Amino acid sequence: MSLSHNSMPANLAKFCPGCGHPLVLMTLGKVLEEQKTAAEAVLGLDIGCSLLAHNFLPINTFQTHHGRVTPVIMGFKRAHPESVCIGYTGDGGAYAIGLQSLLWAARRDEPITVLVVNNTVYAMTGGQTAPTTLKGQITDTDPTGASNDPLLGPELLRSVCHPEAFLARTAVNDIKTMKEYITKALAAQKSGHFSLVEFLSFCPTNWKTKGSQTLEYLENLKQVFTLGEF
Amino acid sequence: MAYKILLAGDGGQGIQLLADVICQSAFHIGHEVAHIPNYGLEQRGGVSLAFIQIDSEKISYPKFNRSDLLLLLSAQANERTKEYQKEAQELLRIDDYKETLNNLGIKSTSYNIFFLGIILKKLLEKKLVDLNRAEEILLSRLGDKPNWSENEKAFNAGMNLS
Amino acid sequence: MPVTNNKPRELLTGAQTVVRACFDAGAGSMYGYPITPATEIFTGWIKQGGKYLQTEDEIAAGFAICGAVLAGEKSFTATAGPGTVLMQDAMSMAEGMRLPFVVIVAQRGGPSSGTVIYSQQEVTLACYGGNGEGLRLVYSPGNLEELYHFTRRAFNESWQYRFPAVVLTDGYLLKTRGAVTIAKDDLENFPAEPIVKAGTNTHLENIHTLEEELFSKLKKYEEDYNKMSSVVASAQEVETDDAEILIIAHGIVGAAAQAAVKILRAQNIRAGLLRPTTLRPFPKNILDARATQAKRILIVESSFGQLAQIVRAELQPEISTPIEYLQFPGLGVGPEVIVDFVTKSQ
Repeated sequence: MSLSHNSMPANLAKFCPGCGHPLVLMTLGKVLEEQKTAAEAVLGLDIGCSLLAHNFLPINTFQTHHGRVTPVIMGFKRAHPESVCIGYTGDGGAYAIGLQSLLWAARRDEPITVLVVNNTVYAMTGGQTAPTTLKGQITDTDPTGASNDPLLGPELLRSVCHPEAFLARTAVNDIKTMKEYITKALAAQKSGHFSLVEFLSFCPTNWKTKGSQTLEYLENLKQVFTLGEF
Repeated sequence: MAYKILLAGDGGQGIQLLADVICQSAFHIGHEVAHIPNYGLEQRGGVSLAFIQIDSEKISYPKFNRSDLLLLLSAQANERTKEYQKEAQELLRIDDYKETLNNLGIKSTSYNIFFLGIILKKLLEKKLVDLNRAEEILLSRLGDKPNWSENEKAFNAGMNLS
Repeated sequence: MPVTNNKPRELLTGAQTVVRACFDAGAGSMYGYPITPATEIFTGWIKQGGKYLQTEDEIAAGFAICGAVLAGEKSFTATAGPGTVLMQDAMSMAEGMRLPFVVIVAQRGGPSSGTVIYSQQEVTLACYGGNGEGLRLVYSPGNLEELYHFTRRAFNESWQYRFPAVVLTDGYLLKTRGAVTIAKDDLENFPAEPIVKAGTNTHLENIHTLEEELFSKLKKYEEDYNKMSSVVASAQEVETDDAEILIIAHGIVGAAAQAAVKILRAQNIRAGLLRPTTLRPFPKNILDARATQAKRILIVESSFGQLAQIVRAELQPEISTPIEYLQFPGLGVGPEVIVDFVTKSQ
């Protein structure tokens, strides 16, 4: 499996310029290539910007429904335990509509890996308030500013997870750590445990940032969302 | 033509147990049977109904309004089956047996088994059930319970009632 | 349908019959959530040693099935009422992605929590629920043998034709205990295969960028569906050749209507029964033929017209036979009710 320019399909879906998704996906692709597990890899996608990854990687990929990627991947894994099952979702799909299923999969210690690309907004629908929107942040669906602190996913899940479940948060401008965490997450799956990695990610389109402002915005998020393993 | 039995009592009085015994003993000798329970939402204390049909032909519909035999084991059952009572051919009302039950010393927890005896006797006369099979099922369901002797006494009393 | 004489007779409830059929069909897993009157199918499956998971809600159960079938495992659930409502999200995904999703729907009173007992009020949900075009297989059994047979069919036909399948039964039939002869070997099992096979680089979508992409996909699905319809659509007919009054009813009400026809014929009333055993695809050809011949049509159901709506939609517009309705939402309909209505209106 190769990620060279020539192997990308002609109708590759268009992530926005500056989006963090391609960084996460390419890192995932590298890890699978190095571990030689691409053949058994199965990538399930939420419906949000995640859906655009449907033909990004040359591995088995399928779209699911918004908030429903976790149970789909769980069902696949239980039917075919040799598969390497990855659920790919945004902060809304993971922590709002999909939180029920995510919490329960974590609680049951389902041996699946969920990758949460957190850009703190519902991006594909135009930037509405999401579970990880910052307190006071103004959006079209919260014109007076979000009243709560952002929901901290890995922290929340730790209270229901098996001690050997892997939970972590990193950022898309740290490829080295992304690679490390994805590797550890897949190792946890192999040992029969749940894993989730959250990636603080760029969204210049909805953040309305240009150039270095985008990077600044991300660095600012790191003040609110703790990086590391949980 | 199907023989139709409607049993009604309070949840916990053992109505469905009666239905189980009757059904299995009718099935055992090759009859077509249908049994459907009907109860309310409460886990305890609501009304419990059992619709039972025995026939030589396949039974098409599990419920009925007109019964050949209707058993009313409680006041609540009496209240909740007024429409069915209008169309019942034969009625077995616990109120009509209070004195008999007292005289025989039947415990309230065995009232259902007493009436099972009465009902089986009627069904045996019509060759609708097999007694051995009925006793077998009864033993397997209640034989290990502490009040078996009370139940045995009630069953025999019902069967032997003239 | 075949019932062979040297098979053992068994005393089973509807729920036990469904469980048996699922095992005999080669189902590998059941995902479920407790809800009356479907719960006994779940606990029965578990008691018999079937692989299962009780999920946090019906939504998760439905989507777990989607995942399982993608991996090539025959999987199913059983639900009712508010659970059937929640199941539509996953069933829509199955419709959009041609997944062999099998669900037993135990109709109970509706809308909302209704009753936990019985109805025929989930017809529309089963046939046309979700945000699609009703490209589903919906079977309506009228007795225990059909409950077994149609559950086997649901697995076979959903895997063969790749449409979600509903065994549309109800709380009465599932609770009814009766003598059944299980004809296990009269049906062969259609084999399951992974839809997403290891190492194949399969990409599956359920959302499209442009309207034209969706349209052309749905046209292909519709073609597949229509081709399948002529093979799968089925009905039982009783005394329809010379029927003046054609009764149309399904499921357990259809069984009651069958008994009613017998009684009416004994009174020299020329009644006949058309009992669709698939509601989707609907046996339209038989309907048109018999509806044309009859003088009156009477549609009987435990709903305010969910079956009637489908019959009218399927009926050829030029057929002008007058239609009457006997409708009892959430209430059982026995043979006497039907007989009374017909004799009084003669």
